[in-house]
Amino acid sequence: MNVPIRMLGIATSIFWIILIGFFASAAYSIKDLNFDFGEPQFTTTPINDLMFSIPVYIDNQGYYSLKALNLTTVFSDAEGAELSSSSTFVPVIPHGQNTTIVHNVTLSINDITEKGQQYLFNDSSLNCMVVAGLNFAELLPTQLSMNVTYPWGAPFYGFSLGQPTFTSADLSHVGVSVPLSFENHAAFDLAGNITVEFFDDDAGSVLTESQIELNVPKQTRYAETLELVIPLNAVSLSTKQSGHFNVYFSTSMFEYGPLVIPYG
Amino acid sequence: MDNAKIARPNKVKDIAFRIAKATLKATFVYLLYFFAVPLLTPLFGLIPGIMETIQVFVTVYIMLMILGDLTERTIFHCFFNAARALFIVAYMVFSVGDGLISVPVDNFTLTVNLSILYTITALLGLLGLAKAIMEAVRFMSERAEGGLKP
Repeated sequence: MNVPIRMLGIATSIFWIILIGFFASAAYSIKDLNFDFGEPQFTTTPINDLMFSIPVYIDNQGYYSLKALNLTTVFSDAEGAELSSSSTFVPVIPHGQNTTIVHNVTLSINDITEKGQQYLFNDSSLNCMVVAGLNFAELLPTQLSMNVTYPWGAPFYGFSLGQPTFTSADLSHVGVSVPLSFENHAAFDLAGNITVEFFDDDAGSVLTESQIELNVPKQTRYAETLELVIPLNAVSLSTKQSGHFNVYFSTSMFEYGPLVIPYG
Repeated sequence: MDNAKIARPNKVKDIAFRIAKATLKATFVYLLYFFAVPLLTPLFGLIPGIMETIQVFVTVYIMLMILGDLTERTIFHCFFNAARALFIVAYMVFSVGDGLISVPVDNFTLTVNLSILYTITALLGLLGLAKAIMEAVRFMSERAEGGLKP
């Protein structure tokens, strides 16, 4: 019985030394492991969605390979409703290597505007949960998670239609000038048009409408005067001092409307 | 009288051998700890309190090991070895719990799944317990064969 006991003792000691050596070297490897996130890039996809491209730099100078790296991002609005999620999988990052991963997240602006018009007209923020799971040193599944708030710039920030001014166009028509302004705070350029309907509240019908072409680069202000012509027989200048506009937005990335803006 | 004279130096020699063995083993384990701790430095920043936990573990482990070596060829040797093995298992159960360690680091949360490491350590502890039980069985059988009380 002496031999088996002695062999058991030797085997246990060897396993202990291997385990301690492994744990110590794995812990020591952490200091040679660096993660960094680059500046996110915004582009539009062929189907006119907004795509965030986040470069992730991984410098693995440790003793062990990183395996099954799974980077997941979930974008949600202020109420916690999911807007978009995306995953990037890297099978292996060998030790002693630098790796750059580009993690792409697609956001449908149409989906965002469906959640609430504040994303079109007010600067807001999107919550982003980032989860990076990987298998470190074969035996240690590890997960990094963090919540990041991304500022959301509204494409029609501060959109306003000013008070209409009426001028006599000819004997049968009245010209209406409406100042229109907004700032494009979004991360993308706006291209499309805005359609404004001049609405007669009493008759409940559209008196006239006008369309204005848009081509507004990001982070710029847009101000224009919208010209409408109203037939004189349909409206009296003295009585039509109040009503509302129906505004429809149509861009390459989203459609929205009507936005009802009263005047008078 | 002659037998008593012969037995006394042998006993002294035996105790001296046990002390020397216990000292050597304790020194070896302490040196292992001494050289392994600097490698764990990156963990100290991530997991506060891990250093104290490791110190407590190593202190209790070395004490039980010394006691086990000093009481060699007695039934207490088996008890201390079994206690040491059970201490490892109990330590892992209480310190690691469900195998997941979550620590906040800067603005993110780091979660490490230590289940596999935990299982290996617990199995090594159980292997140590099995060895202690086998030693106890051998001890009892040798005593029974020699007609001596344990």
